Amino acid sequence: MPGEFTRFCALAEIPKGSKKAAKLDDKWVLVCHTNDGLFAVSGICSHQEKPLFNGRVRNCKITCPVHGARFDLATGAALDLPATKPIPTYEVRVSDDWIEVCLD
Amino acid sequence: MSEQVLKKEMGLAPGEARYPGEPSTQDIIARDRVPAPDWVRSESYEFLGDEDVSIDRYIDPAFAAVEFDKLWTRTWQFACREEHIPEVGDYYVYDIGRRSFIIARVAQDEVRAYYNACLHRGTMLRAPGTDGCAQEFKCSFHGWSWNLDGSLKQALCDWDFPHVKAEEYSLPRARVELLAGFVFINMDHDAPSLADYLGPEFMAQISQWGLEDRYTYCHVSKTLPANWKLSMAAFMEAYHVLDTHPQVAVSNADANSQYDVYGEHVDRFISTLGVLSPHLKGKYTEQDVFNQFTLGDSSVAGDAPRQLKEGETARQCMADMIRQAFETQSNTDLSKVSDSELLDCFSYTLFPNTFLFPGISLPMVYRFRPAPGDHRKTIYEVFFLRPVPKDGSRPDPAEPVYLRDDQSFTEAQGMDPGFGAILDQDTENLILQQAGLEASAKPGITLGNYQEIRVRHFERAVDKYVSG
Repeated sequence: MPGEFTRFCALAEIPKGSKKAAKLDDKWVLVCHTNDGLFAVSGICSHQEKPLFNGRVRNCKITCPVHGARFDLATGAALDLPATKPIPTYEVRVSDDWIEVCLD
Repeated sequence: MSEQVLKKEMGLAPGEARYPGEPSTQDIIARDRVPAPDWVRSESYEFLGDEDVSIDRYIDPAFAAVEFDKLWTRTWQFACREEHIPEVGDYYVYDIGRRSFIIARVAQDEVRAYYNACLHRGTMLRAPGTDGCAQEFKCSFHGWSWNLDGSLKQALCDWDFPHVKAEEYSLPRARVELLAGFVFINMDHDAPSLADYLGPEFMAQISQWGLEDRYTYCHVSKTLPANWKLSMAAFMEAYHVLDTHPQVAVSNADANSQYDVYGEHVDRFISTLGVLSPHLKGKYTEQDVFNQFTLGDSSVAGDAPRQLKEGETARQCMADMIRQAFETQSNTDLSKVSDSELLDCFSYTLFPNTFLFPGISLPMVYRFRPAPGDHRKTIYEVFFLRPVPKDGSRPDPAEPVYLRDDQSFTEAQGMDPGFGAILDQDTENLILQQAGLEASAKPGITLGNYQEIRVRHFERAVDKYVSG
């Protein structure tokens, strides 16, 4: 059964090359608009639960600004120490110029 | 003809002999339609002796330990490209042996290299081989943190550390200098400046190449199965092309390549392409030479037909083809770039561990580092550079592709398979060379006076640092 999508923000709020974090259902969600499209991941690093909000996004990966762990935006996989566990990823879509995220 | 015979018959001093009866590199380049600049049309060979070079340097782990203490701590090393750290706060971790540095852009015009270890209990502040962007460098163990400028920001529970004076707890630094888009570091605060280290002749040359206006479009890393110096030496001469890379020899003036040394830390060869090897004279046609031309990035040549017309030379046609195709593909103006710069292999070594190839058809940078804890292994990286598009948009540098030991270079995404096959051939030699040196009854390697001068020049610099 397909999950339920929730409005995250207007597409115009996250132009290509930028990102935005917001709480949905009590979860911090980070949406990144990259050259390869939109990606939605947990906004919290799996290493020491620090916010990823200000992390650098490059080549579809995000680097935690606090200790430098890096995650694949598409799969959530931890790519670099000190993280060894993945971060959750969420389905994301654009509907009527709104970015929507499915948390299920 | 042996050196002794030549000396006797022609009165040549050691190192003066060249492949008999063939045009020199300079002769070949002088015939080109678009003339080469002075940095191409100059020679700087120097005879540096002909004694054997001892092999302990390649096989003795104690020698490697001395290198870490005396060589790597006192030489200028290519740590990263400026494109890796374009914004304030961007950092790149450069690891050499047991040392590790955070190369950080701390201001728009300032890059610093911090020793990558917490001053509390030593934990690395960033994992080896990583990069990213930070507002501070915070230790993941107890949370001590440092500002971008290296000053201590916070020692958690500072009431427990009255003996920690902030002014004494800034992150220690190595020296940093920027050159042509490269970030160089040196742990030795008494070392000469980078410009003095590389010397005025090389500095005058690199200033003309515009390497700061290139970006990394492919970056491949693999562990090579040999000592780092053997691995580097495998790329210092064209003498091995005939036997190791027969597919290249047809279109490479290997035996009449040019070798130059500049001061203590820089040397080069120029190996002209689109020209038949002197070893193969009479065995191949000009059309064969054209067909066999190998490029670091064969996509440059596109699908253009390779058929010579009456009277055309492979070298000139290849230059014309590359000029046109590359201009179109990369939106770059190459009208004033010489045929030689477009075609030929210019290989420079910057001691201890960097190769620069400023040409267009072979646009690489190599970096070699000894693998920590194993003197028989080398961390090898190749960066392929392209000019930044004319519109000024600078693509992000490519992320490294890490190959496993059992993988072929031809599997590396983004690397030309023909180029990968060449690197595989070099790797296969290195396995046997490392093992052979360990098996050998002969205490030294023997070098040609001219074609292997870069190996001798390089090992002289090794000796200088290791013994000094």
